[in-house]
Amino acid sequence: MQQHETPSPNQPSRPSPERLEAGALARSRRSAMRRRVRRIRRSVAGVAAALFSAAFLAVYVQLASGHDPALSTKKATTTPTSQASTGSTGKTTEKRAAAKATAANQSGSTTESSGTGSSSSSSSNETATSSSTPSTGSETSTSTSSSGTESSSGSSSSGSKQSSQGTSAVTTSQS
Amino acid sequence: MNHGAEMSGTFACFGSTCSAFVSGSGRAGSAADAVASIRRNLLAWHRSFSRFIPDSELSRLNRDPGEQVLVSPLMARFAQAVVRAGSLTGGLVDATMVEQIEREGYTQDLRDPLPLALALALAPARKRAAAASARNWQLLDVDIAAGTVRRPTDVKLDSGGLAKGLFADVLASSLAGHARFAINCAGDIAVGGADGLTRPIRVESPFDGRILHTFELQRTGVATSGIGRRSWLDADGGPAHHLLDPSTGKPAFTGIVQVTALAPGALMAEIQAKAALLSGPRDAAAWLPHGGVIVLDDGSHEVIEPPSVVTLSQLSAGRHRPHAHALEDA
Repeated sequence: MQQHETPSPNQPSRPSPERLEAGALARSRRSAMRRRVRRIRRSVAGVAAALFSAAFLAVYVQLASGHDPALSTKKATTTPTSQASTGSTGKTTEKRAAAKATAANQSGSTTESSGTGSSSSSSSNETATSSSTPSTGSETSTSTSSSGTESSSGSSSSGSKQSSQGTSAVTTSQS
Repeated sequence: MNHGAEMSGTFACFGSTCSAFVSGSGRAGSAADAVASIRRNLLAWHRSFSRFIPDSELSRLNRDPGEQVLVSPLMARFAQAVVRAGSLTGGLVDATMVEQIEREGYTQDLRDPLPLALALALAPARKRAAAASARNWQLLDVDIAAGTVRRPTDVKLDSGGLAKGLFADVLASSLAGHARFAINCAGDIAVGGADGLTRPIRVESPFDGRILHTFELQRTGVATSGIGRRSWLDADGGPAHHLLDPSTGKPAFTGIVQVTALAPGALMAEIQAKAALLSGPRDAAAWLPHGGVIVLDDGSHEVIEPPSVVTLSQLSAGRHRPHAHALEDA
């Protein structure tokens, strides 16, 4: 009977070359996977940082340039009107509307008062609530605006007037 | 934040109407004090800068026989603004055309303007304006520190709109600290205030006075220039107005009747508005990098919204439309 040589328990068996090769292959696959995981982690972190920076910068520039949308209520009504006829250029060419001008042209001086509420009015309301630039001087009258309250102080030496808490609209026209 | 009620005053000045709106206290005192001070200053400056008042500082400067004239600090700044306007626009905005405008008949305050529709009907073919070959504004030598203006004695200055824009800017700088303010120097407006809130600025039609557009603005300058208000019939019965084509010395009919410009300051807005009007419909928008409104002969108008978002390329380049770089550098 042929006797087989059995390794003693204290002496480890020598792995076969196939086994060694398989181990090396496994190790290389593991390290490749680790490298891939690291690469993916880095990509995800980089993309997240870039997205956050871009979003932060966009908001920051918007606010820093003085165009806080929360502070501008008028744009919401005027801009779409403008853009509706212009498309993406942001410019408008509007034909002059029929002369339904209701701008309250009054001779004599006026003080304008428009609370912030008036700024959300439509174009036609703007004319209705506006007081036009008077053609002659002195401070004699006030125009009552539908969008705000107005009180005449008359106490100032300059004849200046006190308007409501809101910010008055100012009209620019050719001089 | 409550800064108290807004004080305002409206008064006749510069042959037109000026107004001031101030709330909160600041360097100029209370809001009422500030309004009073603005009114006082503007009326005084009107007397100093009017071409139609013989003993105004401007009239004295224009007829001074010496080449170098000692002037007030504000007059020196105005002369500097004339040079600036000329250099920024390549001579398109030329405030030295006093002889030409007087030859056209603008020698006194005008009462009733020629109806705009009539003026346009009688006007010659539309043509964009161009700079004059003789650039008198280049001959001005202004020394702000010394308070002197040196020029050939035949070079005269016309305060026109430039002075109003300058006044609005000067007054705005004196209102630092006030919560909100707006100064309207006969169409040239400076808006600002410490609280940073926006203010509605309405652009009026030169044809019927209706409101064409309303901007919501903060800390900015606005100016409107047009041919409708200061207009008259010349000696030959032709329509004339105060905006001259520097290349011809004649009133410019370019196809645009009014331009409103937005800019960081009222003086810059005034320069841009005039340059846009004189450039004609094709090139006008290029002069309005900060927005504005262009009204054409046929009554149509174009609104150029202020840029709402500054892109990175604009930040790095410092501009986003032609001319903006030069204008902002100034």
